[in-house]
Amino acid sequence: MAPSVVDAPSPPVGLYVHFPFCVSICPYCDFVVLAGSDTLGPRNRIASYVDAVLTELDLRADVVDERFGRPGRTAGRRAPLASLYLGGGTPSLLAPDDLAGIVERVRRRFGLADGAEVTVEANPGPDERGDVFLQRDAGISRISFGAQSFNAAELGQLGRRHSPGDVADAVDAARAAGIGSINIDLLYDVPGQSLASWTDSLERAIALGPDHVSLYALVLDDPDAEGLTGPSGDHLPTSAGARRWRERARVAQDDDRAAAMYHFAVHRLTEAGFHGYELSNWARPGHESRHNLAYWERRPVEAVGPGAHAFDGLDRRWTAARLDGYIAALRPADHAVPPSLPPGGVEPRLDPTAAAAEALILGLRLEAGVPLLAFLEPPFDETLAWADAAGLVEQTTDGRVRFTTNGRLLSNEVFARLI
Amino acid sequence: MTIPQDRLRNFSIIAHIDHGKSTLADRLLEFTHTIEARQMHSQVLDSMDLEREKGITIKARAVRLDYPARDGKTYGLNLIDTPGHVDFSYEVSRSLQACEGAILVVDAAQGIEAQTLANVHLALRENLTIIPVLNKIDLPSAQPDLVMDELENVLAIPREEVILASAKEGRGIEDILEAIVARIPPPKGDPAAPLKGLIFDSHYDAYKGVVVHVRLAAGTLHAHDTIRLMASGVESELLELGVFRPQLVPVKELRAGEVGYVATGLKSVRDAQVGDTVTDASRPATTPLPGYQEAKSLVFAGIYPISGEDYPLLREALEKLHLNDASFTYEPESSVALGFGFRCGFLGLLHMEIVQERLEREFSLELIASAPSVEYRVVLTLGRGTVNVDNPALMPNAGEIEAIEEPWVRVGVITPSQYIGALMDLSTGHRGTFVGMEYLDPQRVLITFEMPLAELIVDYYDQLKSRSQGYASMDYEEAGYRAAPLVKLDVLVAGEPVDALSLIVHRDNAQSIGRRLTAALKELIPRQMFEVPIQAAIGSNVVARETVRALRKNVLAKCYGGDITRKRKLLEKQKEGKQRMKRIGSVEIPQDAFLAVLRMDEG
Repeated sequence: MAPSVVDAPSPPVGLYVHFPFCVSICPYCDFVVLAGSDTLGPRNRIASYVDAVLTELDLRADVVDERFGRPGRTAGRRAPLASLYLGGGTPSLLAPDDLAGIVERVRRRFGLADGAEVTVEANPGPDERGDVFLQRDAGISRISFGAQSFNAAELGQLGRRHSPGDVADAVDAARAAGIGSINIDLLYDVPGQSLASWTDSLERAIALGPDHVSLYALVLDDPDAEGLTGPSGDHLPTSAGARRWRERARVAQDDDRAAAMYHFAVHRLTEAGFHGYELSNWARPGHESRHNLAYWERRPVEAVGPGAHAFDGLDRRWTAARLDGYIAALRPADHAVPPSLPPGGVEPRLDPTAAAAEALILGLRLEAGVPLLAFLEPPFDETLAWADAAGLVEQTTDGRVRFTTNGRLLSNEVFARLI
Repeated sequence: MTIPQDRLRNFSIIAHIDHGKSTLADRLLEFTHTIEARQMHSQVLDSMDLEREKGITIKARAVRLDYPARDGKTYGLNLIDTPGHVDFSYEVSRSLQACEGAILVVDAAQGIEAQTLANVHLALRENLTIIPVLNKIDLPSAQPDLVMDELENVLAIPREEVILASAKEGRGIEDILEAIVARIPPPKGDPAAPLKGLIFDSHYDAYKGVVVHVRLAAGTLHAHDTIRLMASGVESELLELGVFRPQLVPVKELRAGEVGYVATGLKSVRDAQVGDTVTDASRPATTPLPGYQEAKSLVFAGIYPISGEDYPLLREALEKLHLNDASFTYEPESSVALGFGFRCGFLGLLHMEIVQERLEREFSLELIASAPSVEYRVVLTLGRGTVNVDNPALMPNAGEIEAIEEPWVRVGVITPSQYIGALMDLSTGHRGTFVGMEYLDPQRVLITFEMPLAELIVDYYDQLKSRSQGYASMDYEEAGYRAAPLVKLDVLVAGEPVDALSLIVHRDNAQSIGRRLTAALKELIPRQMFEVPIQAAIGSNVVARETVRALRKNVLAKCYGGDITRKRKLLEKQKEGKQRMKRIGSVEIPQDAFLAVLRMDEG
């Protein structure tokens, strides 16, 4: 699949719905999340949020209809979505009716193709993962479990609420319900993690027989310093506690150890029948995340919810992270006022060279790589020559360029030269 | 407006740093209504931000005060402020040459410090009348009797001449003004003689061109005269003349004995050098006044723009700054590591720091300075003479060198006696030799050392302060050149010599400095795609080695959802970081690394 540099806007192939609630907040997490009384108890805001999301889905669908026609299979209609992704937060906390309501609204307004991939992210804990049978009935075809580790001490350190055994129970239940595609997320370069605990976590994940494994290096950024947490920013400010946790954790990270963990995982997952189709993602054949592939292939994806990002093939826009403004726009207190799209912003449009660089950067994340010809275009040719000499890329027999394993680990060195 | 010559008084205030010189100047301005209290902010004469922040006077400044004395007559007092730091004794001596008297301010709690002695000696050399003032007598820790003993014993100043004051509380101010009138002689000089005016300072004004600060020794200068600068021979119809209040206030004429400014209209400071004599082009004086010795640079460093395209801006900034501070020197140089820049000479380390900060602040430049060096005298083999080297990278090969001589300084340290041992250790550890010791009072001593200037500029002052808990003070003067077994220590990164990191060091210290330097560089050079050896070498002999291991991992967190723009921005930041690095061979070295020499840990 070639990364397609789309010059003109086109209808979305996928849709992302953000669910910004968790039971508790993990100190390393940068995503837009609320917890505590916003999530649990009599004053929780989930119901009003679900209402707002349903309204946003309608308003976004109106815009898409206006631009590209209504969904359908006949001429003049746009193609239905190939994927729907409910991320968070902990969207497995959604009540079955609410989950079904959202999937149904998406199907009605955007269309869902036959066999569309419908993913929900879930925490493995018994009080967080939801009823997988009802999730299946709501139309969920894929579940992504945030396992992160199978070591109890590491889970505690990361602020996770579940135990290693919960992951096995959660995967078993999903299998029993007939969920067709199961992913397990793991984190490496975690403070206190050893090569031994890493190989053990990886073995235990493989032993559960997942269809897909995502391995993410723990990267502790600072969204405040990046200027992302203002009133219309796409991130919420980092709490003082999380900031302190990150400062301590950064000191305990180790690039060499992390590289060794990655090299081991590449070897072990390949042996276990997975192929690493992206820098951080491994799948059994046919179980690649279609939704995420759309991002890396630079296809248009629609998005709703606070902090969500959408791309229409030309422009990228985001919705502001703060829930008050989000709900106020979509559910005006004054019933005489019609709902309006929530606050957010549009990124400056990229010039063709910058867009081509972005396509290369996203495409190089994939095992399929990018067409050699695209990489030979100036100004990218110099980076290709440099990366080739440094052993970071290799050429395939079908005229494409992709990362070697070392290149994957040092991908930023290449990306920073392309951008 | 015009005050007769016998009612003019020209004076400076001299003091050790922090003894209250600028505060006293503020009070004098207030008391004489030169500046009204409501317009007053502290340290009026320190107009640079940098001066207020550091609490030190960097540039001498002049101001004219009109004082109605107790005798019923109004006197014109010209106060010429002086810098208080050891680096700037050159500026102090220039100011003193324009005066007949000096107020010596001594902190009543601290007593005589190293700069007190140095400045008194400068004032006595100019035959100035000294008015001793004990300041800060309001402090509970003030010991006026003890300090008066010191003044009497060390400087032979009789206690009955001492005025007790608190500039902070405004006490003693009138006594000081009266003493200026009574004790300091009026200036001499015939207002009818051919014009002679000494340029003791200058600044550049965008509208008026070069403005020179003059002290008239003879003659009278009128508003529309054509002046001639005797050394450069340049003539110019002057645009404006006036006095400092402290802002520039035009007057119609300036007469012999007065201090004021002349807006020359000249565009180049070279035509109006400090130390030159101003005369009347239509009736010139026959001989100029004795000028100044040129400021002697003691410390040298390369100054480079971080971004190579800023080189023309840096050149322009240096030219402009030089108009206001003629005491530094600059000439173009280039470095393999740092590109095009300038070799600059400074009066001392603080002066270097101030020039760099002024260039960065006043001209919005981002700069990098190489490690400071002194000027070596290198005697070549086979009788080929001697060359001066102020840049270690330009040191000839060992085989061509017969001997290397380095500048020495005589250092005077005043300290409470309990720190004598610690400061002896410090000084001998810096290759210093003990010369003598003298008790100022039962608790405090003046110790004299001699040591290589190169040792002094590394960290001697900071160490002196920290080992004496801030109580010791120091002053130094040049003490000639001496031969020493010095060697050039080169740094090689991935086998490539980095010229900007070369150092001249004593042979016995070469290995330990090499170890510290390579260790510091190891922390500063980011991991590259390959292993990078860092070596310190004397010629081909490697004396220390460290290795920066190869970079194994540089990946971003999960590239999730639409967060692509954020990743792009993070990558752009990485790219900018790379662009700010300097390439040596195949290795990217951050600017910081070139300062490693300054950051080596003690030990």
